[in-house]
Amino acid sequence: MTRISRRRVALLAGGLVVAFGSLSTRAPAALDMNVGAAKVVQSQPVSACNNAAKSALDAVLQNAVELGGDTGEWLAFAAPDSANGSTAAAAINCYPLAGAYLATFTCAAQVPPSVDSATALCTKLATAFDAGAR
Amino acid sequence: MNVKPGLWLFAVALFLGSLSHTPAIASVDLSAGIRHISDTGSLSDCSAKAKAALETYLPGAAESSPGSGEWFAMGQNIATGAASSGATVRCYPLAKGYVVTFVCAVQLPTNPYGANALCLDIAHKFYGGPITPLAAMPTATPIPTGCATTNLVGNWGSDNDPKLTFNMQLNGDLTDNEGVSGNWIIDGSTVTLTYYGNHTLKLSPDGKHLSGPGYNLTRKC
Repeated sequence: MTRISRRRVALLAGGLVVAFGSLSTRAPAALDMNVGAAKVVQSQPVSACNNAAKSALDAVLQNAVELGGDTGEWLAFAAPDSANGSTAAAAINCYPLAGAYLATFTCAAQVPPSVDSATALCTKLATAFDAGAR
Repeated sequence: MNVKPGLWLFAVALFLGSLSHTPAIASVDLSAGIRHISDTGSLSDCSAKAKAALETYLPGAAESSPGSGEWFAMGQNIATGAASSGATVRCYPLAKGYVVTFVCAVQLPTNPYGANALCLDIAHKFYGGPITPLAAMPTATPIPTGCATTNLVGNWGSDNDPKLTFNMQLNGDLTDNEGVSGNWIIDGSTVTLTYYGNHTLKLSPDGKHLSGPGYNLTRKC
């Protein structure tokens, strides 16, 4: 074998090693789900919950929608990445109580590739919700 | 473009390799919006029904903290060994009765059914309604054994030399009766045996015989 062809074979082998080597490092993606906070906010109408829910979901994820219109059930997904669809999603449920409202948070993430666990996502949402509810 | 030929080879190898393990597009599917209000019943009534409804479809429902009325359960895809579905049923007591919400998530396409299908069934199990059977979770692919005729894993003997035997392993390695190692690979019924050189053999339709120039082997089951 000549020196040039040996070098080409080495480069070919190097490329294959780089390409196939990542096979062993890919962790299996798993679904992660979190039962987030349940908040009762006194002396506030459910519309305040709806506003805070939309604001929090738009801030942490994107394109929050209220399911069915005036239901108090809010849903949003993370922006899809280039290799996957949305790898995180969350729901905020607003329910009117007498002179108060109940807000519950539920989150799901596919880890990896999502950098946030479902717990971290729900914590971010609750913080953003509190900021929007003030 | 003035690029050295060797670099092209590197790039081609990298590209071909990347094609072989491009992951399927996967995403989280979330279902929310199912809410049920009961004018009667206590928080503990709701909790009992929540646990039962969840465990109809997902194993091991647990309450997030004792007495909270917030229940969740996760389902594992046996084939991948990772969680691919989950659901929460959250009960909240009212002055009369309770309100309960259902939220489900699945990982697609790993999970064989969507989040809406899961949540509808759990909700209908809770308060009554039509139940639609969910697609079965895939089971793990059994590890090939020495008697499976669809692969070469197991023990083989030479028809020409009774002392010569081979043990073919799942990872493509082979070892003869004297500890000499080699490799095997199968493509359809064509087998390449790397053992003192390369040998191309044919696997018989019943999967029990390998034959070709220099080697005639019979499976020992």
